Amino acid sequence: MSLALLLEEYDVSTEEGLAKALSEIEKEEAEVDEALSSALLRACDLEGRLRTASQAYSRLGEIRNDAHSASDMVDKTAALAKDVSAKVRQLDLARSRVAECQRRVHDLIDLQLCSAGVEAAIKAHDYETGAGHVARFLSMDPGSVAAARARGAPDPRHAMTRAADTLREHLVRKFEEAARKDDAENVERLFKLFPQIGRAEEGVDLLAKYIAAQVSAGCARVLRDLERARPLDPGNPKRAPASALAAEPVLVELAKAHNTILLYFAFLRRNVQMDGVDEKTKQTNQEAIEKIIAESGLMRTAQDLLGHYLKLERYFLEENVNKALKMATPQAGSTTSNLVDDIFFIARKSIRRSVTTGSVEGVCAVLNEAGALVERGAAALRRWLRPAPEPVRWPLPPNVAPAPALALAAPALPRLYKDADAQRELFLAHMNEAESGAEWSERLAAEACEWGSSLSGGEGARERLISCAGGLAGAAGAYRAALELAQSALRAALAPPAHAWAARLAAPARADPPEELEEDADALPQALDVLVEDLRASLSPRCADHVLTGLLNDLADTTEARILQNHYDMPAPGRVGGQLRPGGARTHRATEAGRRPPSAGAAAPRRARAAARTRPGHTGAQVTTPSS
Amino acid sequence: MEDYKFLFKVVLVGNAGVGKTCLVRRFTQGLFPPGQGATIGVDFMIKTVEVDGEKVKLQIWDTAGQERFRSITQSYYRSAHALILVYDISCQPTFDCLPDWLREIEEYANNKVLRILVGNKTDREDREIPRHIGEDFAQRHGMYFLETSAKEAENVERLFMEIAVELMEQAKCKELPKYDGSLGPINGKTTSVGDSSCCLRS
Repeated sequence: MSLALLLEEYDVSTEEGLAKALSEIEKEEAEVDEALSSALLRACDLEGRLRTASQAYSRLGEIRNDAHSASDMVDKTAALAKDVSAKVRQLDLARSRVAECQRRVHDLIDLQLCSAGVEAAIKAHDYETGAGHVARFLSMDPGSVAAARARGAPDPRHAMTRAADTLREHLVRKFEEAARKDDAENVERLFKLFPQIGRAEEGVDLLAKYIAAQVSAGCARVLRDLERARPLDPGNPKRAPASALAAEPVLVELAKAHNTILLYFAFLRRNVQMDGVDEKTKQTNQEAIEKIIAESGLMRTAQDLLGHYLKLERYFLEENVNKALKMATPQAGSTTSNLVDDIFFIARKSIRRSVTTGSVEGVCAVLNEAGALVERGAAALRRWLRPAPEPVRWPLPPNVAPAPALALAAPALPRLYKDADAQRELFLAHMNEAESGAEWSERLAAEACEWGSSLSGGEGARERLISCAGGLAGAAGAYRAALELAQSALRAALAPPAHAWAARLAAPARADPPEELEEDADALPQALDVLVEDLRASLSPRCADHVLTGLLNDLADTTEARILQNHYDMPAPGRVGGQLRPGGARTHRATEAGRRPPSAGAAAPRRARAAARTRPGHTGAQVTTPSS
Repeated sequence: MEDYKFLFKVVLVGNAGVGKTCLVRRFTQGLFPPGQGATIGVDFMIKTVEVDGEKVKLQIWDTAGQERFRSITQSYYRSAHALILVYDISCQPTFDCLPDWLREIEEYANNKVLRILVGNKTDREDREIPRHIGEDFAQRHGMYFLETSAKEAENVERLFMEIAVELMEQAKCKELPKYDGSLGPINGKTTSVGDSSCCLRS
């Protein structure tokens, strides 16, 4: 604040005002002093900086001088380098020209050597060297040849082309010779030389011709074999095979030939797929190859072959099954039968063979035929099982007279008895056949599906296969029906002794002494033992059990019915029960004990339950109580 | 498993080019494929239809008409429940071959098989076989008769439906137990035997 202003602000007229102004002035003074001293302090620092700056300035000048000289040096060096590199370039150019000159000199030398070399090589039959010379000529710089010509030398190309043509002619001739002689090694060697003489296409053509000839020769061989087979036509009496046996090798051959054709088609398809082209081209190629295959004569041949094969296979199946049926037709005294074994052996053989044709169509058709013929076996068994069998050995109760026919036969005519035995055995054998026929049909159907699954053809083919194998499964039903028919017949044949036993068990009054009654209680189990043993000896355990269970059911039912019909006196229920109970227990034991393998497994409890349910003693005791 | 009560096999036979495949395609897929190639061997298609509220599965086997596939196609006759013999009403030779086809059917098919004669291609203007000639032939040989057009979808549905109805009636007649009541069906199960090929129960 200036003094004037201070003086204006304060009233200097008064002492108090003056004092205030003075103090203010003093304050100002102190502040000015302070500012002055700090400015003085900074002056030192500024001086130092000024000094440094002036020093730096002088050094910058030096640097500038240095930089100038350096730049001069660089300029000089650059000029020098330019000079040097121009020289190097010149040298390089000279060098490459020399190299070219050298190559041309070599080429010119080689050119002469080549045409002479080819001639020499042809004369020496050393086609590799000859082809090497031609390859060398072809790889030559055309400039060399032109240069040679420009220098006034005769055009070497003429000579060389002539030599190459001669070599080509030789190679072609030699190749054809080798192909004629079927000399695969030389064919391969000569084929490799064609690309070297610049005739790769021609070489491929020749090789293709050679391979085509090879294939057609192979086909001709196959066809010759097939021609030999073709006369076998079951539909034509003049050309029918001598026997089913004679047809077999032909069948094998036909199936193999058909499969070979299919394999060839598969090979063609695979080749198209493996060509490394884009998806779209692949698709087009695939369609094209399918069209070629479908319209090819080879496809027709394959179809004809398959048709012929199937005709002959049907003949084979029919003849063999007819033979098996004829051999199995029951004769007087025969006790065994192999019909099912024979039929399924034949069917299995045919189906297996049909798989070797490689075609699902073929397998399906043979499955259809086999299904029909297998069913004929079932029909024959059904026919043979229709007449009721001679009574199975189930002894009648004591004191009961046998049926008149049997009574007559027993003592007088042992021969008749023997015949009856044989008939019974045969009946049981046929029952076993029917059972195994059903099992075999199902097994063969499953096997056929498994074998056929390896053949190509997709989902549709698989479904067709399953459907055709279903024909065999249908045959299983026919065998099972034959078995059920036989089981019923057997039960019917056992009905008279069952009735006799039921009558005895439920008899209301018996005057026999107690010890005889005791003996009597053992009679039924003993008689059942005989029957069980007899059935077990001839039938499969399952089949025997089935018959026995049915029989015991019948016995229980008949006894029950009798008990309900009869009138009993007071002690009768006790007696009848006493007779039934041990009999029942023994019967149960008898049916259980005879079971051959102890490992009846899961079926055992079911059987035991069935046996317990049919125990005659159990049923009898229940019924007697209310009647007392 | 699929839900159906009856399964019937229907096999179509007849000369090449009479339209067997087209009939099958029209019925199973509802389309008429123009420029259909010759069938190779046999082909089969399935269609499930409903008759009287019951599902019936028709397994339709379409066979090749060409002579060289005869060995394959013949093997399918025996298991057929119905055989459809097709000719082309605009092509006399296909009609003239019918007796040959019948001979083949006699030889290979079940004698109880349902046989239907079908004159196809009624859409064609150049008819050569009048309807009554076809009818007469069918009557003489104990066959059902129908004229169809796979192209115009005429009578195709009817053909297969009538077959399904007829076969189902036949099957129902046979459903009664086959054996004498006194012996009773064993295991409580009936099995059709002998002519089992006429009725396959699912």
